[in-house]
Amino acid sequence: MATEGQTEILESFGQVNKTAGRLFQYLLQTATAFGIIVLAFLLLFVTNDAIQPLTADPGWHLTFFLTLVVPTLAVGTYVYRRNRDALVFGVMVVGLLVVSLMFSGGAALVLIDIVQPDTWAGISLAFLVPAGLVVGLQRYSRQLPFLVRFGTAVVLFYASLLGVPGPLGALVGVSQVLPNTVDIAPSLLSGVPEWLLVVGFLGVPIALGVGAYFRSVHGTEAGRSAAGVAVLATVAGGLLGPLVGVDPLPATTIAAVAVGPTGAYAVGGGISDPDVREGLLVAGALVGGALVGALAVETVGFVGPQAWVDYQFLTSAHSRNAIDAGLYPAIGGSILLMVTVAVLSFPVGVGAAVYLEEYAPENRFKRFVDVNISNLAGVPSVVYGLLGLGVFVTYLGQPTGTVAIGGATLGLLILPIVIISSREAIRSVPNEQRQASYGMGATKWQTVRNVVLPNAFPGILTGTILALGRAIGETAPLIMIGAPSVVFSLPTEFTAKASAMPLQVFAWASLFASEEFYTQAVPAGVVVLVAVLLAMNSVAIVLRNRYQRD
Amino acid sequence: MSTDDITDDLTRNTENAPPELLTRSFFFVCAVLSIVTTLSIVLLLVTEASKFFTFTAPLLGVEGPTASVVDFLTGTTWQVGNQEFGVLALVSATVMITIGSGIIAIPLGVATAIYLSEYADEKHRAVLKPALEVLAGIPTVVYGFFALIYITPAVRTVLPGVGTFNLISASVVVGIMIIPMVASISEDAMSAVPDELRQAGYGMGATKLDVSTGIVVPAALSGIFSSFILALSRAIGETMAVTVAAGSQARFLNPLNPAAYQEGALPMTAAMVQLLLGDITGGGLAYRSLFAIGLTLFIITLVMNIISDYVAQRYREEY
Repeated sequence: MATEGQTEILESFGQVNKTAGRLFQYLLQTATAFGIIVLAFLLLFVTNDAIQPLTADPGWHLTFFLTLVVPTLAVGTYVYRRNRDALVFGVMVVGLLVVSLMFSGGAALVLIDIVQPDTWAGISLAFLVPAGLVVGLQRYSRQLPFLVRFGTAVVLFYASLLGVPGPLGALVGVSQVLPNTVDIAPSLLSGVPEWLLVVGFLGVPIALGVGAYFRSVHGTEAGRSAAGVAVLATVAGGLLGPLVGVDPLPATTIAAVAVGPTGAYAVGGGISDPDVREGLLVAGALVGGALVGALAVETVGFVGPQAWVDYQFLTSAHSRNAIDAGLYPAIGGSILLMVTVAVLSFPVGVGAAVYLEEYAPENRFKRFVDVNISNLAGVPSVVYGLLGLGVFVTYLGQPTGTVAIGGATLGLLILPIVIISSREAIRSVPNEQRQASYGMGATKWQTVRNVVLPNAFPGILTGTILALGRAIGETAPLIMIGAPSVVFSLPTEFTAKASAMPLQVFAWASLFASEEFYTQAVPAGVVVLVAVLLAMNSVAIVLRNRYQRD
Repeated sequence: MSTDDITDDLTRNTENAPPELLTRSFFFVCAVLSIVTTLSIVLLLVTEASKFFTFTAPLLGVEGPTASVVDFLTGTTWQVGNQEFGVLALVSATVMITIGSGIIAIPLGVATAIYLSEYADEKHRAVLKPALEVLAGIPTVVYGFFALIYITPAVRTVLPGVGTFNLISASVVVGIMIIPMVASISEDAMSAVPDELRQAGYGMGATKLDVSTGIVVPAALSGIFSSFILALSRAIGETMAVTVAAGSQARFLNPLNPAAYQEGALPMTAAMVQLLLGDITGGGLAYRSLFAIGLTLFIITLVMNIISDYVAQRYREEY
């Protein structure tokens, strides 16, 4: 018996039953996928409800299958077999086009209905003129003491933005002598066509940004040509837009924000890296296939799906009839809110992060701020809404539901997130770089400005975009500060009452609850909201992946 | 430039030069702003909530109707119209959402964390982590709509007695929403477990299953628990999903009775939204009750955050 038992042990020694381990792994995989799959199904359902692909003619599906799906798959497989990086490049071009088209729609909305192009030019000039003067002064003489330079800068910006003597003069009863630049500019620029203003004050800055990006990646030559391509695309948009029946203003805006940068990225990437040039075939197949398909469907007369997300939905206001209801004022409100939130929370959040990482000594105060920020991040959003209601509305006497207090409340809400992610980005800047800067005799601020912030910038930007994504989906704080759930016109200033996309969706889903809204307006609103969010998230993720690799 | 000037330039103390001072003060003010925010939240909630309670209102010179703090904390009826403010009716619904979402998020989140930290290779992680982030990034009002339109009918095929507004579907979506939180914090804790412990386990002949469940999870337990608390505190504060999906009728339910989850109820956060959407007059009792609920909510989530920090610090295994 004893020997038999020993033999058994010997035989089983080193034998491991793999079943349990396998089962466990499958269980883990299922659990990991569960949430993602459930969400994917929910998104599929809601997209189906909003777009209703089955209401289209079979011929419509067949046409697009033949012109779009088959060629793209064929070209995609071919490119994938030959060079995987090329496929990634092609997909990036298409992704950039889609995301930037979305943003260009927002920009066009702003330029047409919120800020007129001449006002926009005035705002740009109000910042550019004093900035140019300050830089010129600095170039002219480096010997000027800092306080003189700083004082001049403050005075110049004050005069340009607020006029002379401005609100300070009003306080002591002196009437305005010189109006501010924003007021002067429209009369100076009155003869210039609107679309040229868009070219000058939106297309050129974007082109300069694109050029700067390409210069940092591929060198000066590439930077210049990319910026040139972007400007040309913008001008072409303004000139060619009217020929295909689009007004010059939206055409220029879309060209400036979407076509120019995407074209520059495609051309620049293709020229500087011939290996991935084939990827452009994929992009071409996708875009060309979609255009050819649309044209073919138009000529033959196949009826497309009865989508609830259509031009009418995106450009009209709320209505009692679900079929006429639209999201336009809410989109404008969301854009203005995001601008306010970004302007308020980005500098403060980054500033706090810089203080905590670079300046604060290890003492009780720093630990207290640390704990405080992590607790603030856990405070429910509805409590931030109460804060906005109590402080801004009740104690400061502001009117309820304006863009300004909505933006301030949401800004406070995402502040801890911005601080935490900026701190991580700043912490990941290697200490050697700081030491090198100090070794060259740089002061703390010079080190922060020239070494820490530029290196941490992609990380900070990623964190801020994700935080803005959180803010754009928040509803509860807006309800608490009394933002109206139904607005019929776009907010045109920061003191105007504004709704927001999630708030409008909530209003349709609860206040106007009916079968029609449930099956038409709400799914359409959800699809738009989720599309905007996914676009922001993917921008953040692409940014992060790109800079983590470096 | 004379030698004196150069010496002056090279030896001057720049720490308090104007640009340094200016930027340092700006950064300092930014950091202090977070403290100001916390202080204003606390002060605002405490003063406004004190105006609500009978025993503190006279101290602030507030006249008019007030509510007894005992009734508020022990009452089980919430009817603003009848001036009945029993917060337990709201708390019970919040507790049920928390339990329900925990049942979904805790096992799934921990399993996800084990998979990501121990099993998944780089390629899978690169896809799964952003996908999980999206799970947490979908607006909560969208989740509420999903619960109402898609999940409730699905639940109804199994349990026909489920109402249009119910706590089951609300809990399901809140659970899905907080999976990423459990997963990412637990995964951080598991990744922080030193590789030597795993190698030692394998050296003893342990399988991957043994190492994951017998070594990594116990070693990371404090982080895992703190992730539970943080995620549940997020579930408590979750507003829009429960406002849309859980119902608008405040009622006291027994959280331990599974059948009660089929009914609708009014969690604390949803009650606040409902109060604001209804016509409350500024400064009235209903307006002040808003801050009383807000204070309750704030205290609960703050205590949970502090406990989570404490657990993570106190029970952290030192290596």
